[in-house]
Amino acid sequence: MIRARGVQKSFGSAVVLDGIDLDVNVGEVVSILGSSGSGKSTLIRCMNGLERLDGGLITIDDFDVSNPKDLAEARKRSATVFQLFNLYPHMTAVENVTLAPIQVLRIPRAQAESEARALLDSVGLGARADAYPAQLSGGQRQRVGICRALAMKPRYLLLDEITSALDPEMTAEVLNILAQLARTGTTMVFVTHEIEFARTISSRIVFLDKGRLVVDLPTDRFFAGDGGMANARIAQFLSKMRKE
Amino acid sequence: MRYTSFTSYDLILLAQGLGVSVALFLVTTLIGFLIGTIWAVMRFYRVPLLTPLITFLAELLKNSPVLVQLFLVFFGLPALLKINVTPVEAAVITLSGNTAAFIYVIAVAAIESIGRDQIESARVFGLSRWQILRHVVAPQAMAFAIGPLTGLLVNQLQVTSLISVIGVVDLTKIGNILNLRTLKPFIVWTVVGGLYYIAAKLIALGGARLERRLRAHTAWKGL
Amino acid sequence: MILAPHVPFLLKGALLTAEACALALFGSLVIGLLVAALRTSSSPLLSRAAFIYVDLFRNIPFIVQLFFFFYGLPEIGIYIDAFTTGVLALSIAGGAFSSDVIRSGILAIDTGILEAAEVSGLSKPTIFRKIVMPIALRTSIRPLGSVFINLVLTSSILSTITLNELTGSAKIVASDTFRPFEVYAVLLIVYASLTYLISLAIGALHRRLNRDRMPDVA
Repeated sequence: MIRARGVQKSFGSAVVLDGIDLDVNVGEVVSILGSSGSGKSTLIRCMNGLERLDGGLITIDDFDVSNPKDLAEARKRSATVFQLFNLYPHMTAVENVTLAPIQVLRIPRAQAESEARALLDSVGLGARADAYPAQLSGGQRQRVGICRALAMKPRYLLLDEITSALDPEMTAEVLNILAQLARTGTTMVFVTHEIEFARTISSRIVFLDKGRLVVDLPTDRFFAGDGGMANARIAQFLSKMRKE
Repeated sequence: MRYTSFTSYDLILLAQGLGVSVALFLVTTLIGFLIGTIWAVMRFYRVPLLTPLITFLAELLKNSPVLVQLFLVFFGLPALLKINVTPVEAAVITLSGNTAAFIYVIAVAAIESIGRDQIESARVFGLSRWQILRHVVAPQAMAFAIGPLTGLLVNQLQVTSLISVIGVVDLTKIGNILNLRTLKPFIVWTVVGGLYYIAAKLIALGGARLERRLRAHTAWKGL
Repeated sequence: MILAPHVPFLLKGALLTAEACALALFGSLVIGLLVAALRTSSSPLLSRAAFIYVDLFRNIPFIVQLFFFFYGLPEIGIYIDAFTTGVLALSIAGGAFSSDVIRSGILAIDTGILEAAEVSGLSKPTIFRKIVMPIALRTSIRPLGSVFINLVLTSSILSTITLNELTGSAKIVASDTFRPFEVYAVLLIVYASLTYLISLAIGALHRRLNRDRMPDVA
């Protein structure tokens, strides 16, 4: 499981995460909601070791991400999908997907490639496997990004606002894949603005506000009038997001 | 005193060599700047026939070795025109021409960096082409060009070292002389290289200062 | 034309120029990549050392560097021929310039791409080899081309250390024929055409390496 305890993170004088406690168990889909600047992306970046913690602890299957020796193992167990895709521009889709499996997991090239093609096929990109990122639409790029993460066979998938840069149609393409993944029991930490979608796939919903974890509730409780909605901050946030 | 050892007189030799290098650098930079700017102005006025000719000449000078240009002037011109060309004359002609070519290219880029719309709106206000050049184009182009110009000057100082090959007694030639006499190449060329390095750094420093001042001049200071 | 009988000799010189430049291109790319990697490394000592190398060799005339190696190396017991010395000096000088170009290519890489590589568990050397280097090289192919063109022009200076490359052999022809103007005028045009061809080739290479950014026809 992913375990966060008392996580502190500041940029300069701005406190971004202020004592976050969070557990994500295998098989769960945990969505993290919150307005921009609430610290949700930073929390993901602390989980995959891109940001150094100022205090507290994050472990992935008991591997401490703040410990350089453990970080490699922690990163093998998790994989990240990014808001801006961050595909390798000089590599084709299939090369993007196979790079880490070949280099890190030492999977033979032929096997890695056939697995990558199968993955790309499963997200409807079988015909675009040899295209370069610049030749793909945003939605297609993000689907490659998801395949790149899945190719590492991670126990935990970290998704950092992966549809924020996409138009509604492309967002739907990408969310469909997530729904599929959720059905197959992939563990996911899902930072998002897509509240309605989060509601359909999440087992739990966490709400961050100004670096603090306000609530951590099962999905149905989060949306219940006497549950998460009882919190004025959350009710305000939800009504604002729904209007948009 | 052994024939091969260094003497304190060698310091004077080095200083003299450096003086020749710097003097030729300054003179040819000045001439090159004038010629290059005149070429760019001709282009701005779209002088027919001359403009393509200048562009071609500048490209030719930019894209051929200075050493070959130097040989062409020093060995070629006297043979062709039956005139006498001293090493220093050949050096001045070649380096000025070469600098002019690069100045021209920088000036053209600087002028083109100024939006057509600015020039057009100035014309609408009834400014003459000369007034536009003087008041609109030149100040902005200068601020734009100062960075590339500094780079060019640092480079052209180094290019002056080639004139030692046709016998001008510049810093590099002094290095050759000392190298032959003392047979201490490491020391000689380190010192010579060091002097060039310091001179280059001074030029870069001067350019950076000038750039700061020009930028401060053109920067928006509020109402 | 008076030069006709001398063409084979000049061609031999041109071939030597081509060889020296090809080897020096390779050498300066290797040095350039290495030094750019050092300059962008997190070690202040290494990046400082790399900066000093670049700063020195960019600000000292090439002919002085060449003499330093040509006359200096035998003094410390290293005897290499003029050709090797020339290629070495060209590579070192070219390496300083290309490292600057490659460094800006590296600094221009979107940090998100590097983060993606990092979290996927790739080691630092692998990230450099598989991601940083290819991206930096392909984005800086044009400025690298200018460095190479300068290398070709600079190679004429190798004639001053007894090497009969293109300029060196032209010198011999000029004094044999007593037609220095014709010889050097032709030589000037040959170099200019050569660099023009190289710039065309670089344009083509740039388009090829960045072909994925063109609209997809398929």
